Amino acid sequence: MSHIIDAKGKACPTPVILAKGAISQDMAQFTVLVDNTTAVENLKRLAGNQGFASAVREEDGAYAVDFSRGEDCPACEAVINSPIAPPGAGWAVFAGRDTIGEGDRELGTNLMRMFFYTLAQGEDKPAAILFMNGGVKLPTQDQQVAEHLKALTEAGVEVLVCGTCLNFYHLADQLQVGTVSNMYDIVSRMQQADKVISL
Amino acid sequence: MDYALISFASTYGAIYAQKVLKEVAPVQVMPVLREISLGCGMALRIVPEDLAVVQAALAASSLQHGEYACYAITGSGSTLQAELLP
Repeated sequence: MSHIIDAKGKACPTPVILAKGAISQDMAQFTVLVDNTTAVENLKRLAGNQGFASAVREEDGAYAVDFSRGEDCPACEAVINSPIAPPGAGWAVFAGRDTIGEGDRELGTNLMRMFFYTLAQGEDKPAAILFMNGGVKLPTQDQQVAEHLKALTEAGVEVLVCGTCLNFYHLADQLQVGTVSNMYDIVSRMQQADKVISL
Repeated sequence: MDYALISFASTYGAIYAQKVLKEVAPVQVMPVLREISLGCGMALRIVPEDLAVVQAALAASSLQHGEYACYAITGSGSTLQAELLP
């Protein structure tokens, strides 16, 4: 019988931490029980990143995410065993707030829009744009910034948005662009980048 | 004309114009093009089709003539042309 990890009622990133623990113990098959879709998405991405197949079952408002390790998959093994990607993966932007700088909020909001306008127009684009805390209001509630982010995404820029923060601000259903993400992926993009510009 | 740009004598003017135009036409905030001003400033970008209604709304606002200017922008980078509109 597959090992079952009950992570219902546990906030992100706990379900992912528990799943990683199972992976580190060389479990080939296990199931994680959670009660929110953000955790489901994060677990599915963890499975993909770690060479596991995943399947999701919904039962009585909870979700069961089944992990199973692919057999004889050299590509999967390479991913599982690879360290964090080496440096040289471009640069990243970290937005931990929805305005630029301290001071007048209206000015700060407009400066943020002008920043993303300039970024979208320019040739030198970041590899990743990372949103946390109040920054998650930009890809959800700011129409202009969301439009620039869509253009940047189409140009190959990865946009990651903290799922915990989206839940905290009750914005999970308003995300216009980007991938709901977690601390692991966001930190990994920072580590991969040659430089991180914090707004 | 690819788009119209409105520049302002002050940032306060730009923020005020944003409020005036909120119900008039979709507006994007952008930095003033280097071709227009070397200073750092906030400009508004609109689609050419909205130019007339935007100009009318600004003329009817408390912004005075000389506190803002409209430009027709064509091209980008080295081919960019900015034409001051009357």
